[in-house]
Amino acid sequence: MHTSPSLRSALTPPRPQARRFALRALTASCALACLAPISVLRAQEIPPIAPPGLSLPRITLLSMGGTIASQAKDRLNITNYGGKDNPRVDPEKWVKDLPDLALYARITTEDFRPPADAPAGGGTSYERLYAVAKRLQELANDPNVDGVVVTHGTNTMAETAWFMNLTVNITKPVVYVGSQRPWSGLSGDGPLNLLNAVRVAATPEAAGKGVLHAMNQNINSARDVTKLSAYRMDTFRSIDLGVMGVADPDKVVFFTAPTRRHTHTSEFNINSLPPKLPDVEIAYAYTEAPGYILDAMVTAGVKGIIVDGTGAGSPTGGQTEAIKKAQAAGVIVAVTARTHGGRVQDTPRRRESGIIPADNLMPEKARMLLQLALAKTQDPKEIKRIFDEY
Amino acid sequence: MKPRLTSTCLLLLAFIAGPIAQAALPKVALFTTGGTIQSKGAHRLKITEYNDGRVTPDELLSDLPELKAIADIQVTEISNIGSGGMKTDLLLKLVKGINAELAKADVAGAVVTHGTGTLEETAYFLHLTVKSDKPVVVVGAMRPWTGISRDGPFNLYNAVRTAVTPEAVGKGVIVLLNDTLHSARFVNKGHTTHVETFVSREVGPIGYSDSDRVVFYRTPLTRHTSKSEFDVSALTELPAVDIVYGYQEASAAPLNSLIEAGVKGIILADGAPPFATGSSAAIAKGIAVVQSDRKGAGRVPLSERTAGRGVITADSLNPQKARILLRLALTKTKDPRELQRIFNSY
Repeated sequence: MHTSPSLRSALTPPRPQARRFALRALTASCALACLAPISVLRAQEIPPIAPPGLSLPRITLLSMGGTIASQAKDRLNITNYGGKDNPRVDPEKWVKDLPDLALYARITTEDFRPPADAPAGGGTSYERLYAVAKRLQELANDPNVDGVVVTHGTNTMAETAWFMNLTVNITKPVVYVGSQRPWSGLSGDGPLNLLNAVRVAATPEAAGKGVLHAMNQNINSARDVTKLSAYRMDTFRSIDLGVMGVADPDKVVFFTAPTRRHTHTSEFNINSLPPKLPDVEIAYAYTEAPGYILDAMVTAGVKGIIVDGTGAGSPTGGQTEAIKKAQAAGVIVAVTARTHGGRVQDTPRRRESGIIPADNLMPEKARMLLQLALAKTQDPKEIKRIFDEY
Repeated sequence: MKPRLTSTCLLLLAFIAGPIAQAALPKVALFTTGGTIQSKGAHRLKITEYNDGRVTPDELLSDLPELKAIADIQVTEISNIGSGGMKTDLLLKLVKGINAELAKADVAGAVVTHGTGTLEETAYFLHLTVKSDKPVVVVGAMRPWTGISRDGPFNLYNAVRTAVTPEAVGKGVIVLLNDTLHSARFVNKGHTTHVETFVSREVGPIGYSDSDRVVFYRTPLTRHTSKSEFDVSALTELPAVDIVYGYQEASAAPLNSLIEAGVKGIILADGAPPFATGSSAAIAKGIAVVQSDRKGAGRVPLSERTAGRGVITADSLNPQKARILLRLALTKTKDPRELQRIFNSY
């Protein structure tokens, strides 16, 4: 597929670029030094702007495309951008557009962009997830890399980041970033988001906290973050929880750390996963939702089904009958809550019915966790444990 | 590290032993201070102007026999007042009492009942002064103990459950109402009457007390409890610190009156033109000035201009919590650099 050539080019170490950016950093920091009277400052814990040079963290910027890599001819066009006539931004161009990046890190770019005619979010096949996770695992083990920033389209980035959170054994910062407006858009959020993502990846405190998501000056956990608005810039939030930290103009601050298992404490690793995971599909619950959609999934050979239930995680009557049939056929069924707030709890009735409560995960994230769990075990008790721990 | 491990082991032991023998129930120290959770109304529809007597600690417990199945509760009554009347001497009495109880090997955790109006201030004070990793849960209610659909009983039940949960160890002081666990550092009261009043804006809760289990998702990273540098064990009072509010055409009078009254610190809740000269005058007299904000979310960023004037920035602490931290910080230092370090770490 289209990932292979870009992966090959990614593996070529672009050392000369790093030197070029270091030079640019020198110019940029001189300009800043003229603006700010740093010498007269009675510094009270204000982090100094680091001098440019080879002591800066080495950050790999991995582009998977998305709105942040998209362009339109007209800067007022912030909805119908992209397509064959408007090729995605070359990762090199980002770095050229943002000389300020060199104040915080030495950047190496890698190109994972989908082809120009790929639909939005359509490039996110398991094959691609697998390739990116593999690459992240290589970067985790590369002594010349201190942190990674992944740019991604916003539609499915939360679940992609969650997949990496579960399958890549890494303590270095991994930061997912995107934008709501194209790179060419008026008042585009992309440049500051990208700058802040690099700042977060270059922050020692960002290490060991699992895969992070940084947009709109907030830092969220890949586990909890979800996209909640189609167009607004404050689209990513952790329902039920909140931000772990912020990328403020003065410094990157972490307030909390996640307690669930992730990255270096995860029992899943991309290097021991099969090239294809068991199929799991999602059924939505609503008034009169029928069972035959679930029947069709079973016929198609799924190994697991997520029912995004009403209220506290309730399938409809029709779905309940279909769930029993699916379980009889050996399919594991887990439920999430379509309220998208609150946990699905472990209740005696649910235990009796053999349905696994998926904690407070969004259905698309519960799906990925169930896929990974099913690659390891068919035991409902073990799968329940996995949902309790991740 | 070591006391934390020991208390975790004790809690685990209590958990394993709990179902086997009733005698092995974990001990929880309950400190009562009053508040709506301990208030009575003349009839059950009185859920706003309830001034018809107080609920004693014994009444709380006898009305909630379910607690007997999960913990062995020992009560200390600190006060029985509304939270608006909370004072320094009571805060010191409370934290000294908690520290004494938690120092006992067989006590698993502590629960404090409190009025909700200033609950976040007391909780943050405890977060900074409790000398233990054992769970401390501050609980209140939005409806009086006698009110229709009262939230108090379940809040109290969940607070005790949380206090005996092993995962709650080392997370600092927890505020619990409405099944939601907040860190005392980030929480504030955000609604006048609703039961979901407590919010940690931006940061969100750290966990939930659901029927199947008390579940945690986050651990706070700011310094607290056993990692805190503040020690109030020998203190009988704290430095006076007051707050001035910023608004259009705010006059210099409140700020000047505080300087004249001899306060040791001033918290600026947002800005106003007279604050610049007023704070310089205060600093010249050795008064510490902290810039906080009235917006309710977001940090006050560190700024060269503010630092240059000797003003300390409050990070994301709201004015009333910045006041608590400054009072404790001033027991250690008056150096603006040190004060700023403290505001950056707690």
